[in-house]
Amino acid sequence: MTDHEHKSTGDVHHELHSHLPPEPGLRVKAMESLLIEKGMLDPETVDAWVETYCEKIGPKCGARIVARAWADADFKERLLENGTQAVQDLDDVGWAVAHLKVIENTAELHNLVVCTLCSCYPHAILGPPPNWYKMAAYRSRAVRDPRGVLDEFGVTLAEDIELLVWDSTSELRYLVLPERPAGTQDWDEARLASIVTRNSMIGTQRELPLDGGSA
Amino acid sequence: MDGIHDLGGRQGFGKVDTGEPEEAFHSDWEARAYGIVRAMRKAPDWTIDEFRFTREQIEPADYLTRPYYDQWLQSYAALMVGSGVASVEEIAGGHTQTGTADLGPPPGPDSVAAEQSRAGVTFDRPEGSAPAFGAGSSVQTKPHAHGGHTRLPSYIRGHTGTVSHVRGTFVFPDDSAKGVDHSEPLYTVAFKASELWPGEGCTHLVHLDLWESYLDAA
Repeated sequence: MTDHEHKSTGDVHHELHSHLPPEPGLRVKAMESLLIEKGMLDPETVDAWVETYCEKIGPKCGARIVARAWADADFKERLLENGTQAVQDLDDVGWAVAHLKVIENTAELHNLVVCTLCSCYPHAILGPPPNWYKMAAYRSRAVRDPRGVLDEFGVTLAEDIELLVWDSTSELRYLVLPERPAGTQDWDEARLASIVTRNSMIGTQRELPLDGGSA
Repeated sequence: MDGIHDLGGRQGFGKVDTGEPEEAFHSDWEARAYGIVRAMRKAPDWTIDEFRFTREQIEPADYLTRPYYDQWLQSYAALMVGSGVASVEEIAGGHTQTGTADLGPPPGPDSVAAEQSRAGVTFDRPEGSAPAFGAGSSVQTKPHAHGGHTRLPSYIRGHTGTVSHVRGTFVFPDDSAKGVDHSEPLYTVAFKASELWPGEGCTHLVHLDLWESYLDAA
């Protein structure tokens, strides 16, 4: 096939599959070098993105939103009403999530977020998604067998707790507001934020131990 | 497109790997690939939906097995080839054979902080048409889709649900994937999992965000 105009995207992928080196690291190096030569990339901007996502943006941004919602009832009301607007109150959280929808867990209700079609996720608030969020096992089962998935994360959901699964099929980005644990009445926002985990904001964790804890 | 990417409700993929370490990137190349994708100058007509449709057309075995950010890069590579910005040979070799792409200067390091501090790309189009359905409306999804990009997953097609939220008018992905900025009312619709997968003991609700042309009154 010589006419590029008539090459389908599938054909292009097939050629890329055949011609690119199999090792991802080599592919990345070749792509960076080519983009720089094409005038399409400034490597210092790559450094800046990596630094931002390793040090500045990540689950701790989401944790600050959750902690503020726990501590400030007025903020929580605005957050549930219009998440995008409400998070402007917080430094460094920014605008990068254009359409943020915050969904609240209660004693009677649990929320779980998935993207079955790709991997939609509130990057600007939680950082890059974990691999499991992007892989077939989670994406296929979260809608059909969510209690089984939760069980694998160590979450046993009582039968009488209503379970809502949110499949992110649009540009709305869902963030779970976990329940505030008992025994934290006197805590300030920073201390509250320290116990909020990434998985609790996706919905694959429900209880938040007061000593922090993993994931 | 009824591709491998449409994973909701499929079976046989095993357990979720819940033991993954929590750092943002698990290797240097992953971080670099993520940074490149965020930092690169994109040709003006690559919408998020064109990118998604391009990734959906990766060979099925590659889609399921190649690392995620590697698939992002391959999708941008395919978009570059499709736009005539680069050839497969250039992408494989890492060197241009035709000079620069002439797309204007690439975003500089300052663009990173700037993206965090101002409104980014938005997908709502407030001037769009009035919604046909309201919260509480019973709606039925179309029984089938088409060969292009769509956000109507196969597991939900032909099923009846209840509108839980009317979200406003949003860019319609099926058209956006072709570079057309057409908008439609968007709804969040709740479906009973017990009706999607009868006999499996499901008690939960599944919510999806669905555009008006995916729906009929039920």
